[in-house]
Amino acid sequence: MKLIYSHLKKFLPSLDIAPQNLRDDLTMIGHFANYYEKLPDNDFIIDLDIKANRGDGLSYYGLARDLSVYYNIPLVSPIDPDFNIPASDYQLPISVTSPDVRRVMALKISDTQVQTSPQWLVDFCNLHNIHSVNNIVDLTNYVMFMYGIPNHAFDAGITSDSLIWENNQGKNSEFTTLDGTALKLSSQNLVISNPTEVLSTDLVGGKKSGINNNTNQIILEVAVYNRVRIRKDSKELKTVTEASTRLEKDLDSNLIPTAMNYLASLIISSSGGHISSQLYDYYPQVESESEIEFDLNMPALYSGIDIPTDFSLQVLKQLGCSIENINNTTVQATPPSIRKDISLPEDLVEEVVRFFGYNKIPSTQALSPKTLPDITPGILYLNLFIKKELAQLGYDEIRSWPLIKQESLIPNLIPQDSEPVYTQNSINSDYPVLRTSIISSLKSQQDQYQRFKVPQVQFFEIGKVFNQSQGQYHENYSLGIYDSNQSQLSSNLEKLSDRLKINGGNIQSYNDQTGFYVEINLDELVKSVDLAYIKDQPKSNDHENSGHSVELTSQIITLDANIILDQQQDPRELIKEYSQKIGENLWQLIISDIYHDPKSDKYRYTFRASYYNIDDKTAKDIHLTVFNLK
Amino acid sequence: MNDNLNKILNQYSNQISLLTSKAELENIRVELLGRKGIINELFQNIKNIAPEERKNYGSELNQLKTELENLISQKSATVTSTQQISVSDQKSIISLPKIGHLHPITQTEEQLNNLFRSLGFSIYDGPVIVTDEYNFERLNVPANHPARDMQDSLYIDEPQYLLRTQTSTIESYLLEASKDKLPIRTAFPGTTYRNEKVNRSNHFIFHQYQAVVVDKNITMKDLIGTMDLMFKTLYGPDVVVRYRAKYYPEVEPGVGPDMQCFKCHGQGCPLCKHAGWIEMGGSGMIHPKVLANAGIDPKEWRGFAFGMGLDRWTMAQNNIHDIRTLLGGNLAYKPSAK
Repeated sequence: MKLIYSHLKKFLPSLDIAPQNLRDDLTMIGHFANYYEKLPDNDFIIDLDIKANRGDGLSYYGLARDLSVYYNIPLVSPIDPDFNIPASDYQLPISVTSPDVRRVMALKISDTQVQTSPQWLVDFCNLHNIHSVNNIVDLTNYVMFMYGIPNHAFDAGITSDSLIWENNQGKNSEFTTLDGTALKLSSQNLVISNPTEVLSTDLVGGKKSGINNNTNQIILEVAVYNRVRIRKDSKELKTVTEASTRLEKDLDSNLIPTAMNYLASLIISSSGGHISSQLYDYYPQVESESEIEFDLNMPALYSGIDIPTDFSLQVLKQLGCSIENINNTTVQATPPSIRKDISLPEDLVEEVVRFFGYNKIPSTQALSPKTLPDITPGILYLNLFIKKELAQLGYDEIRSWPLIKQESLIPNLIPQDSEPVYTQNSINSDYPVLRTSIISSLKSQQDQYQRFKVPQVQFFEIGKVFNQSQGQYHENYSLGIYDSNQSQLSSNLEKLSDRLKINGGNIQSYNDQTGFYVEINLDELVKSVDLAYIKDQPKSNDHENSGHSVELTSQIITLDANIILDQQQDPRELIKEYSQKIGENLWQLIISDIYHDPKSDKYRYTFRASYYNIDDKTAKDIHLTVFNLK
Repeated sequence: MNDNLNKILNQYSNQISLLTSKAELENIRVELLGRKGIINELFQNIKNIAPEERKNYGSELNQLKTELENLISQKSATVTSTQQISVSDQKSIISLPKIGHLHPITQTEEQLNNLFRSLGFSIYDGPVIVTDEYNFERLNVPANHPARDMQDSLYIDEPQYLLRTQTSTIESYLLEASKDKLPIRTAFPGTTYRNEKVNRSNHFIFHQYQAVVVDKNITMKDLIGTMDLMFKTLYGPDVVVRYRAKYYPEVEPGVGPDMQCFKCHGQGCPLCKHAGWIEMGGSGMIHPKVLANAGIDPKEWRGFAFGMGLDRWTMAQNNIHDIRTLLGGNLAYKPSAK
């Protein structure tokens, strides 16, 4: 939602505020402002995100109402007070058969003159990313933005006056929108038609019945529909418009007369003409309003700060609530019909607190520690314990996609009498199935490590695996470990079992040409471990192993080098020394050989250095320089 | 000692001094002192030595054997956790002893878990495959509610079964399980799933962190103070966070935390989309309908819930630029020493 300051002031003439302050204030009361931009003549425009439950916020009027309360300044109507819709003998022959119409008003204006919009209106449209068409069409859009109620103007010379609001009965399947887009209508779409054809959908007007330079009589309609129908039509017709964005919110039918008055007055003022029909008003069920019993102390109780009851009452009144006193601190409040989001006492609490100021709630008083029964599931203790043990044994933790490619399923690792679980609507269609074994994910990771030539990898993952059987979905935590060295893996599994104080367990194994994989069902394992012992282990985080994760962007390059030293040296100190010399692109440095030449009594150390995220040439340059090989 | 025996002693004393595991030491022992080892071989070859040198050579050979036995024995007592790894040619190589790493997301989760444990929170968990009821209905998001557009769901059996779109779904299960065990303080990390295309900056899997408290007389002040403590734990004591009105269907009143942009310090820049602030997540007082849906009397109990995404923060902390890196892909760990 865009908000131009000068047009906001039509509702709030006494508003006088710098753009940055208005942006921040709007944000603090719930309308997040992304940015503002200065315009000529000390004007500016603000870009806002409007909350999904605030249909009224998609209008200058709705936002002005909030600001009027926040700044405690008067809210005025921009409509010419002398403008009235005159009486007429002519009734428009309109019919409404669709149950999705909550309210519609229509009016005919004759002898209009269609012309180019005045510059202020062209600018307004442009700033709201709407293409300026002509004075009449632009004013319908203007009123939609100002009051938040979508509306439309038909060329009555083309459509006839016999408009019908109906759910498409299948008599028309093709429809071309104002901008020339062809839509395929289905049977339940809400449309406005005449006896021969569809003129407009509930989302967008039609090309045939649009206003053009030859139009001299128009029918204006302002309507609010069942928002569920709008959402369905919008999705089905793949059409999102400024109108549909508003109509799929809970709009205020009671605002339609105001919007119609404003629209008619602006059009007559801009294009001349005169009203040539009665005001048509279809409003089959007057909408009821919520009555909320509200304790004026609630805002203070909920916020935790002192908010006087007088302030609470003042806010309710400024919001336009009808108030009846029940006792000294309790009132019956009926919110204004434009505020469809208010139906509970807690909704009123939010209203009061946001105008009192969220920033007055201190942020320094966290909950104090409190001893409560520990309801942490045992499996979470086990998962963390195993992660830390495996890290101590030299294994790196990975996390991977639970959704995998069909070909990544390993048939032998699908539990007996069960089937994989597939997604139905994934737009990542290459990955349609939930893994049945965590080894599928480990294999993918190992493929990646091979592509990047990562040396000597050992890694593990703890994550969910899934299957279905007998109409039930099943998921459990699974541990998978990969190691290229089978005896090392076996030895480490024994160490893990020792630490867990268990005698082995049900282990699935798998191997490929690169190494060995094992998988353990942790939901089964947790039944056989001593949870009291597991829980008793230290839970502090090991931050000494943080900061080593790397986003690889190219293959790791491994190069050898010999250095000759007069004296024997601690190889670990040498590794540290040369690691520092190589610097940030060093992946790993090892000494692969040490040789003492008795003739020269010198020592030859053979280093193997691996470099990452640099190209071959740069790696070689660093290598030759550091090991003095140039 | 003759040159040849001296060379053997020097070479192996070097090697033994660099050994890092008992297994490797055992290999060297077998290689030197085993039945088919070097020393035995040398003793067998003594017949090829000139007779006048045999006695001296034998004595030196015994000396070599004793020294090697001593070296192995001494080393055996000192071999600790240093690590040996093998290469294809079976030569021994030396590296700094290695430890593995926890995934960056796990580290962030544990950092937060530790904070909340210190405040008396339990850590909780919930299913990934969930029903529409627990993912939406119980959280005050009925069918056709506009808020459903905020989340494009990934279904496995539409419309009933889907992958959870938010950690609030875990809250649905938690509240139901805890309705007779109040008060509760819980926190839970979790993966969540949306039907979004995967690219450098978007993923269909998100890591979120949520905290839920239900107690008597819980206030927004408790919520904001606790959330602020979480942000300070993650981002440091100087982080500037503001709390404003925000809408989420499962809370009322809703609270939106924004962090002052660390790049422009509130002035507005491309990183913060010129707002000066970065949205950090969502929170609020648990909606009375959500409590009631779980069988909890909202007149007796109040609660708060807050949640935030962990991906962006973890990426920034680890200098990761592609969100795909977090889940498999090209995330690797620089070998680090114990």
